[in-house]
This record gives sequence, structure tokens and C-alpha cells, in this order.
Amino acid sequence: MVEAGRSPNIELLSNTDFLALDGKPGAFTARVRVRPRYIIPEKCTACGMCAQYCPRHLVDGYNEGLALTRPIHIDYPQAVPASYFIDPKACMYLKNGTCMICLSVCQTRAINFDQQAEERELHVGAVVMAPGFGRIPDSALEKYSYGAHPDVVTSLEFERMLCASGPFEGKLLRLSDRRHPKSLAFIQCVGSRDLGCDNGYCSSVCCMYAIKEALVAKEHEPELDITIYYIDMRTQGKGFDAARIRAEDKGIKFVRARVAEVMPWGQQLKLAYSTLDGGHFFKAYDMVVLAVGLDAPADAAKLAQSAGFALNHYDFCQTTTFSPLQSSRAGVVVAGAFQGPKDIPESVTQSSAVAGLVSALTKQERGKGYVIKTYPQEQQVSDDEEVRIGVFVCHCGVNIAGVVDVPSVDQYVEGMEGVVFHAQSLYSCSQDAQEVLKQKIKEHRLNRVVIAACSPRTHEPLFQETLKDAGLNRCLFEMVNIRDQCSWVHANEPQAATFKAKDLVRMGIAKARHIKPLPEQTVSVIDKALVIGGGIAGLTAALSLADQGFLTSLVEKQPHLGGHLHDARYTLRGDDTAKILKNLINQVRKHQNIEVYLSSELGQITGYVGNFSSQIKGKKTDDQTTIVEHGVIVIATGGREHRPPRVLDAPIKYSDRVLTQNDLERRLAGRARNRAPGLVVMIQCAGSRGDDLSYCSKQCCNEAVKNALKIKEINPAAQVVVLYRDLRTYGYAEDAYREAREKGVLFIPYSLDPKPKLNAEGKAPEVAFYDPILREEVTLAPDLLVLSTGIVPEDTEELSKLLKVPITSDKFFLEAHVKLRPVELPVAGVYVCGLAHSPQPVEEIIVQAQAAAAKAAIPMVKGHVLVEPTVSTVDQPSCIGCGICEALCPYQAIRMIKDEKNKRKAETITASCKGCGICASHCPVFAISMGGFTDEQIKAQIKAFGAS
Amino acid sequence: MTKAMEKKEGAVLVVGGGVAGVQAAMDLTGLGYYVYLVEKAPTVGGAMAMLDKTFPTNDCSL
Amino acid sequence: MTSEEFNPRILGFLCNWCCYAAADGAGASRYQYPPNLRTIRIMCTGRLDPAFVFRAFVEGADGIFTGG
Repeated sequence: MVEAGRSPNIELLSNTDFLALDGKPGAFTARVRVRPRYIIPEKCTACGMCAQYCPRHLVDGYNEGLALTRPIHIDYPQAVPASYFIDPKACMYLKNGTCMICLSVCQTRAINFDQQAEERELHVGAVVMAPGFGRIPDSALEKYSYGAHPDVVTSLEFERMLCASGPFEGKLLRLSDRRHPKSLAFIQCVGSRDLGCDNGYCSSVCCMYAIKEALVAKEHEPELDITIYYIDMRTQGKGFDAARIRAEDKGIKFVRARVAEVMPWGQQLKLAYSTLDGGHFFKAYDMVVLAVGLDAPADAAKLAQSAGFALNHYDFCQTTTFSPLQSSRAGVVVAGAFQGPKDIPESVTQSSAVAGLVSALTKQERGKGYVIKTYPQEQQVSDDEEVRIGVFVCHCGVNIAGVVDVPSVDQYVEGMEGVVFHAQSLYSCSQDAQEVLKQKIKEHRLNRVVIAACSPRTHEPLFQETLKDAGLNRCLFEMVNIRDQCSWVHANEPQAATFKAKDLVRMGIAKARHIKPLPEQTVSVIDKALVIGGGIAGLTAALSLADQGFLTSLVEKQPHLGGHLHDARYTLRGDDTAKILKNLINQVRKHQNIEVYLSSELGQITGYVGNFSSQIKGKKTDDQTTIVEHGVIVIATGGREHRPPRVLDAPIKYSDRVLTQNDLERRLAGRARNRAPGLVVMIQCAGSRGDDLSYCSKQCCNEAVKNALKIKEINPAAQVVVLYRDLRTYGYAEDAYREAREKGVLFIPYSLDPKPKLNAEGKAPEVAFYDPILREEVTLAPDLLVLSTGIVPEDTEELSKLLKVPITSDKFFLEAHVKLRPVELPVAGVYVCGLAHSPQPVEEIIVQAQAAAAKAAIPMVKGHVLVEPTVSTVDQPSCIGCGICEALCPYQAIRMIKDEKNKRKAETITASCKGCGICASHCPVFAISMGGFTDEQIKAQIKAFGAS
Repeated sequence: MTKAMEKKEGAVLVVGGGVAGVQAAMDLTGLGYYVYLVEKAPTVGGAMAMLDKTFPTNDCSL
Repeated sequence: MTSEEFNPRILGFLCNWCCYAAADGAGASRYQYPPNLRTIRIMCTGRLDPAFVFRAFVEGADGIFTGG
């Protein structure tokens, strides 16, 4: 967010309403109205003086009404823009024409009551709709005593209560009596899967955030008794089931039940709930959290009307399975929760994908309005110049300061050699703190900066950017981690943590005395892409790259394109998959920017981001090998249906009576008269979630519901029984689940203790299971026993070795950051999408492929990438040419050359160097220096370690 | 009420300044576009800015 | 000397990509461990010159920790 705030290519129009959209793709005119904030953001330093003097109180919306603020306020210290604003509905002057106290206390004269609303017309090529989601109406919460009893809170209110910078500073307190609750219940599906408030869909995020909040609450209060009341635990995302198991291990209870109501009960709240077997129970809790769903934005209808696109029956944006981000109006695309309720990584993926769609739609416009950021001339810092270090110690709200005595750490550095300035900051990463940093660098002529805060792994780039803005080389910076590796891990030992923080800061300063500026280097990027895999993910990615104007080579190991989507016959929404796939393949084959290599695979690959060279070889021995030079790689190698040899401990013999969902789909799409026979039993999680594969494959529940409905369509008299653990028809698929139940499909949950017994080897399959509704053992002899098996990735192991990219224990590729960089791999220039990333339904695969294509296009658009300056350099006069470094370098980043006297010398290939330093630590004559980690610097740190 | 007409080329409008809107804006600038990011609230960040930590790693969300 | 009295000073050399990241992860998960460790971040344990280890012992370290 701070990054967005400082980009010269983003004009941030906050406090602004979207009014209307005219024109056509490539030439739209949007009308917006900027409402007055009564404060000039450029002048406001967010000092907070005005709010101290403002005489009126206002309920704090940012803190979900749990705290009070003033009509003149800022939501939180790191807000972007970092400027206060005045709420005209509460300000005494704006309402009644009296007061104006703030005007006289503002030192920078940033307050301006004469500001008027301003209408602007913006000339744009395309529009991205990302208005997010709305609130579940209070009326849907009333039956849980929400509003009537203060200890019934929504999950969002609870989030603020747990937050260290929230109204209770992270203490978990009951609103009624400010006491710590001893027992707490979460109620799931509030305002979701609930036709009572017209929200038939599943909000897809509540199960995850409830587990998260429960775990955080448990961290605050280890003795707290927490129960989550749920219908189905929908933790279908990558790695999500593991978190649920972790929660169970921590003692959080999960009860499958529907809560009918919550009533006040003395000092407590009484839950009335019913379980699957028809039992009714009551239980009292100190506090109740309602896991509220995501509603459509309140102004969705207005937005749709003014921008001219259609909404679906739930008032979210209408899209289709195979064009999931395209609204009904050309040139208007949609991303995030407004496309359908979803979590952060999926929203982020959609955002990248729409950027790619816009880039393909308006590629002639690209670069025309782009502003290139310039930095002030870099100040020369020579070796003999006086060292002037500035030290900033961060509170990180209470994250650090709640444990470490920050003022004493700040005092501790006073008088240390080279330290000419030191200060504390509340949040050193906030936009206003960056301004302070720049100002202090100038004011005190600092030539080294030490920030003691969180981890350099996450925040070093931000501070380095600020250094560049201040005219300092970004390597003149050292970060000391006193949060992740100090205050957070020594929460109960404040004294020892403070002592450790001082040691770490002293060591950081010792290193800083020896740090030197390092040159900025760039590498050019070949504007060609390689896509590996020609299934739906690869086809989509290749087409997106080609549409954006980049030459793309598409490699597929089969003799035809389309992959396993050829096995699909129809989708839950009734799309004709074969026709759509054929059309897509045709577009790819005809596209002038795409070169297709069939029956081929990746042989060898060398190079680095921007400059890869790949060998593409035919699968037959006499086939020729082609060398392709390219700048980026998109991995879309896909996955296939798993066919486990055993399910629920029973051996499986696949036949025309025992089949997978895929087999069933093919059968149902055929013409056989008895294709939808009288009794069909489906087993969910067959071979998944610990049965054979450890994970949930995310799509099997949808597939089961889809095929169950198809059976009912073909033969309404057929009996379909679905045995499941948690039915995970998240999002709009919940509609289909409801329809299936209405049409008489029986959904019966099974437990793992005891497991259902299968006989699936012979011609007469049998299933025996405990029916919790009948409360007895039932044995069925179905005509078809259908196993909902999961998805396994294909060829990921070989490719991971070839590209030196990591895979998870489940053999899917491991993305660079689960939340914020979901389609990038840790190796620069390599991207991943589709089933090679994680199991997911086709709609999400398409989005991910478009996102990977957009991310891959970024370095090609720029034409170059920046190389990290922390690389090795060889001092050639000292080098004796032994070649040890060349042999040891794991990245082939050192080569041996002959100097002018024909002597062997080592040389670093900067773009390949990953900065590991193996060369430097093994050089027998100390001729190799590691930028940012020199012998001198590390030795200084060791010495400072000893100097306590 | 004043009216200003801006004839900037190569620009894209993003409506909504939550995590989706901000990410779209960032990627659009990466792809060479100028972005108008319209948010009806006085600050960007949307719902994500209210989250203390995120699932399943409990990272901070900012 | 009893174990309660011995409060060792340990110096860690952590690889930026794995061990340092894991130490950050331990913090994010709020795992608690004794506050005896001081760390130096390096980009890879390959950077760990044996000379650094000796030097740390000379400077008074009771133990050296490395992870990568």
C-alpha cells in the first residue's frame, strides 16, 4: 500500500465517488466526484494535534464502532494517504458553523474549510472494478442477540479487538464488563448459505478467518475455551487443512451443528443448537463471535448502472466460467470480492489477471502515459569520509514496544562510534515515517542508516527505496530484526528481550560502520516467453502473452493441445466444455505470436531472468532439438485425476461399476441407456485429506454435485447418495448443492472413526457406513460406486530440479509468497499457474494463468530487470586462478578468464550471482569480496557481539 | 463545482482501493499504464487494512 | 556450576533464505525460545568462513549456531 502511495504512476483519488462511464474500450470517459476532505494532504504531517483539540466525539468506524475518535481523524497511523480528514457529518463547524479550533492549532496550515467537491472527467482506456464487498445486514444477526447483547460481536469487530493497535490494545475483553472471557463460541455461516437473507452462496473465507481468530485468541488467552460451530469446515485452499488440524491440536473444539439462536443467560449467553442426528442442546458462553459472510457492496446496483454492466442474482458482478473476470460491458473488467466472495490470495491473483486483460485490450496505449521515476543524484560516499550513522528504533505499535523497552534501546546507542543521530518511531514503515527518514538524512548529513524494526526479508526494499529518494546509495543501510527474532519470540521476558535488542543494535551499528555503496546494475530482458504445458492453463497463459504482443513458445508433451480438459464434458454452470476448448485451441494455433511445439519437452535450460536459453526436444529420438531464447518462463504443466489403489483402507479395482468422477462424467455424457442407473453412491475425499494424498483437491465436491445433478436430469428416479466429510461447494457452487438436495440427492456425512467399509473389487460393490441421522449401520449395494478422487501434479519433480525451484511436500510448486505473490516462484522470471500450483476448479485455473501471464509480461514491458547489488566481486590482481570458486559456485556464476598477461583469473557473472558467498569463504587468498557481507563487516559484527 | 477534463493517454481507471484495487493498480503500472485509483473512503486499504493477521501463516497484513 | 546458573551466549549465523526465514516464521507463529541467541544474517551458510567461528569463540561465545 505504501508502494502504491508513492508510485508516480498512480494518482490516488480517495474520498471520491465514481459517477458515470461513457465511450468505448480504448476511449472511455469516466466521471468522478472528489469530495472535500477539508485538509490539504501535501501539508498534513499527521501529527495529530488537531484531533487532540477537536471537541467532539465520533464513533470510530475503522475500529468497528468499538472506540471513539474525533470528527477530524485518521484511521490508523500507516494510512495512505497519510493525511487526516474531516467527517462533514460530525464536524461542528461544517454542521453548525461554529468551532474552528483545529484551524488555529494546525502548525502547517493544512486545514481548509473552503474546499469544495470537484467533478473530474478521466480519459481512460479500460476500467477495473474492484469495489470489494459489503456487510451482512444487521437483521440477519438479530436472532443471535447481536445488537441486544454487547458480548455478541461480529468477526470483524473481534478482529479489531484482537489487534495490538485496536481499541483494547490487543487485550481480549468482554464489552459488557471488561473482563477476560473464559469461554467463547464462533458461529459459522452467519449471513452465508442462508436464504433467509437472500445469500444462498458460501462466502468462502469465514472458516479460514474463524480458525485464524481462534488461534490468535488462544495465543492471547491460552486457557480460553473455544468452540467453533459449523456446518462444513471449508478449508479447501492450499495448506489450509493443515491450519485446521493445528487449531484442533491447540485445543480448539469443532462442533458440527446449526445454531438456532443465542439468548442472554445471566452473565452469559446461551446457545441453542441442533446436531445432525436431530439432537437439541444448550450451552452457555461468555462471548459469542458471529462469523459473518461477505455481502455484495451496498452500492452495487448503482455502480452497475452507472458503469453499464450486469449483476448476478446475488448482486455481485456477472461473469462466466471461461471469462471469469470480464463484465458484461466490453472494456470493464472485475477483480476481487466483487467478482464473488473470495480470500486475499485469490483477490490478488485476479488483480494481476485483470491487469493482463487490460494490457491485451489496450496494448497500443501502453507506455504513453507512463511516468518514469527519477531519483536525485546519488551522493558520493568515499572510503575516507566520516561515518555518520542514523539509528531509528521502531515500536511497531506494541509489537516491539510491548515487550522491548524501546526508549532504553534508543538511549543505548547515544554516543556510539559513528552514531550522529538516533530516534524512535511508532511505525517506521509508514509513509510519514519515510518522510521523516528522508528529512533526517538531509538534516544530519547521514551516510549510513540503521533501522531496528522487523525483518529485512520483508521491509528492506521499502527503506532502501527511501534512501534512494534521499540521494543515498541503497546499500548504505542495515536492518536489525528486533521484532520477528526478538520481541515476538521472547514475549514473556521483557528484560532479556531488551538486553538482546541492545546487543543486536550494537552489532548492526558495528557492521554499518563498514558498509559501502554498491553499484546498481540492470540486465536486459528478451521479450519472448516460454510456456510449458498446453492444457487450459498453458493455452490461456500463452494466449494472454501473445495478445499483449509478446512472442510465445508453447511446449506440450502430448501430440495435441488441451490436456485433461478434454476429459470434461460440461461444467456446473452448463457450459459446453468441448466447444470452448476447441475454440481456444484454434485461437492459439492461429495466433501469429505463438509458436507451438507438440510432442516435445524441455531438455536443458540455462541462463537467468531476461536471458534464458532452453532446449526443446521432441519425444522421439530422431526428432530435432530446437534452442529457444526467451526472457521469462510460465510453468503450466498441470495435473491429473488421482486413481488411488486403496480408498478408506479398502483395495479398489476400477471397473464399469467402480469408477472415478471423471469416468462417470464420460459415461453420463454418452448415449448408453442405463448410464444413470437406480442407485449411485459417491464417496468424497476418496484418497484425499490424509487417506492417500494429504490435501483437499478443492474441486471434487463441485464435481460430485455436478454429476449428481446430471444423473437426476437423465433419470429423476435414480437415488444418489453422497458420503462426505465436509461438503466444500464454496462460492456460488452452494446453489448447485442446494438444488441437488432439493432434487432428492442424499448427502450423508461420514466419520473416520469408524471409517465406512468398501467392497470395491468385484462386480457387486458394497458400502457399509454409520448413518448419523438414522443412528444405525447401513449397507448399500449400489449400481455405481463413484470415488471422488483428488488431483495430483504432473512432472513437477523433474522440472523443479531443472529450474532450481522448490516444490511442496505434496509436489506442487511453492510460490514466492502465499498471500502476496501467488503466481511467482522464488527464482526470478519463473511463474506458475494451474494444477501445477494447486488443485483448483477450471475458472480459477483460467484466472491464475492470466495472472501468471501478466506478471511474466512485466519484465518484458520494462525491457530490463534490476539485479540485487549484493553480488561477489573478484579482486583480479590478488586472484591466483586456482578455480576453486568456479568449481564450487552452485549457480555457474563464476567463470575463468585469461587476463592481459594470459594468466587465469576468476570473474563473476553478475546476473547469475545469487550472493551466497561460497566463493568468498573458500578463496584461499581472500580475493573475493561479497557485497554487503564482506569479511570486514562480519568480523566487526562478531567483535561487537563480544563487546557487551 | 469545477470541472476538469484530463486528456491523459495510456491511462486506466481502477474503482476501489482495497487489496484487489491496489494490486491491480500496481500491476498496471508494471505493465506501463498510468492509473487513476478511485476510492470512496478517505484512505486506501479496504477491509485488508482492518485485519490484524492473515490466515494461515498469521503474517501481518500490511 | 548448575544448569540454572549457566546462561550461555550463543552466536548464530543464519542463511537469509532458509534459517533466517524460519526464525522470522518462528516469530510470526509466536514460538517462544530462550533469549540467549544473537544472530548474524548471511546470504548462505556457504559464506560462513571457519575463521568466523574461531573468532566468535575468541570473542566469548559459548556456542555457535548455524542453519542453512
